[in-house]
Amino acid sequence: MSNAFAVDRAFAVIAFKRRLAYKAQWLVALVLGGGAMLVSMAMWRELLSGGALSGYDWDAMRAYVIIGFITATMVFGAADWHIADRILDGHVAIDLTKPVDFQRARAAEYVGSMFSTVPTVALGVLGAWILFDPPGPASATAGVLTAVSLVLVFPLAFGLTYLTVLVCFWTKRYLGVMWLREALLAFFSGMMIPLAFMPSWLQAVAWALPFPHFTTTPSAIYLGHVDTAGALGLLAAEAAWAAGMWFGARIVFNHAVRKVTVHGG
Amino acid sequence: MADTTLRASAARHAGGVYWRSLVAQIRAITEYPADFWVMASAGVMWNVLQFAFLTVLFAAVPDVAGWRYHEMLMLSGLLTVAAGSTALLCDGVWSTGTYVLKGEIDYRITRPAPVVVQVATSHIGMQGFGEVGFGLVMVAYGWIGAGMGLAAVPVGVLGLACAIVIECALITALCAVNFWLKGNNSIFAFVLLDLQHNAMTMPLALFPAAVKIVTMFVVPVAFVNFVPVAVLTGHLTSWWLVGPPLTAAASVLLAAGLYRLGLRSYDSSGH
Repeated sequence: MSNAFAVDRAFAVIAFKRRLAYKAQWLVALVLGGGAMLVSMAMWRELLSGGALSGYDWDAMRAYVIIGFITATMVFGAADWHIADRILDGHVAIDLTKPVDFQRARAAEYVGSMFSTVPTVALGVLGAWILFDPPGPASATAGVLTAVSLVLVFPLAFGLTYLTVLVCFWTKRYLGVMWLREALLAFFSGMMIPLAFMPSWLQAVAWALPFPHFTTTPSAIYLGHVDTAGALGLLAAEAAWAAGMWFGARIVFNHAVRKVTVHGG
Repeated sequence: MADTTLRASAARHAGGVYWRSLVAQIRAITEYPADFWVMASAGVMWNVLQFAFLTVLFAAVPDVAGWRYHEMLMLSGLLTVAAGSTALLCDGVWSTGTYVLKGEIDYRITRPAPVVVQVATSHIGMQGFGEVGFGLVMVAYGWIGAGMGLAAVPVGVLGLACAIVIECALITALCAVNFWLKGNNSIFAFVLLDLQHNAMTMPLALFPAAVKIVTMFVVPVAFVNFVPVAVLTGHLTSWWLVGPPLTAAASVLLAAGLYRLGLRSYDSSGH
């Protein structure tokens, strides 16, 4: 790896190791994510026993719920508090004196922490595959494009999280902001219920936001609800959101950093 | 006789300390109005979206395992009120692990009031205001929509009171585990609350028998919201109404007992 990425790699590895040090978190994430997945499976098995609803039959829904579990575990298991704490306790002031870009360093740490969810994801998916035997991707191309979509969740999740964490410069607290973000993400991504069930105006609202790309985009590609051209379009939109939030965050940070206070001073 | 008088006096004293501490926390909150509104809004948001989830779902299906829209709203609403109440009435118990780690139980032991009362009132979760408020709206909307009249109100009030007591007691009991399993986070209580929000907002008929047995007789969270709402809506017979008060009493005894045992094993920090 070139020197240009050596610092990023170091930040990512440290964040990854820090998360792995707390092994109880794996178990908790597995119990919480696995529990939510099992409840969801139980509900949809009952509701879809009479046939398909809004384009989803029991086969498709099994795959959909597992994809939702994967993305939820990746996003909700990442180290957003680590970034927020640096702003809240004033460490950001020290970070600004370091010869590294603040946003890029936090991105590396965040992605590193997302990789720490891999054991939980792997174990959860393995268990779900054994219990529910979901269908495979609609085609080999769909499988590859689904994987690309899941890879794009990394920068997308960072952009969304980082932008909301920056609100801490004004609010001085993070918990409420985090809850608001997680609630909106769970609903508008389709993790709670597929967007296809929503009325058209609510679907339009959802698609005007970055949230659907966390669950609806990878599952739509996987299940073949869109053709290859449609899948590429969705991936382009997902990448555009990731890039837009990255550069948008730079603008917000430049304004927010003027608000920095250290322990109230 | 003297014993009874002393116990009554101690209970009155503990109650007085509890309310004075809680009122002091509320006064502190009013000094930070912006913080209050952010947290209360966050508390409301999850429940607004749970409301939206049910509304979207029931536009596509007539019922879930025999439960209709308004009944499911009551199920979610009652759990929201119970969970929100823990944030308002005993949010400090979540800090038990931190206090144990830092040895901050020490000076609470020396003060003339029960330690669990002092710990429980050391904090208020402001999201609780939003959760309780919106939870009550969901219950009321579901109640009216399900066509239930005023005659069922006493049963509803009993179910609500028991739900709050059971939830507070179970969370306190699971936070007391941190006396033995050292750590800042009350993992067991957190897991319980999260699984409740996932599983107990659904009819128990969806799940295997093992889940029903566990939620009724091992970790009796079914008596928080499922049993009262099932009785009110006719999914269970009225005999089941005996369950919530009995569970509330058992949960309080469990929480008090665990906290007392925890205090006995507490050895401050650094020993």
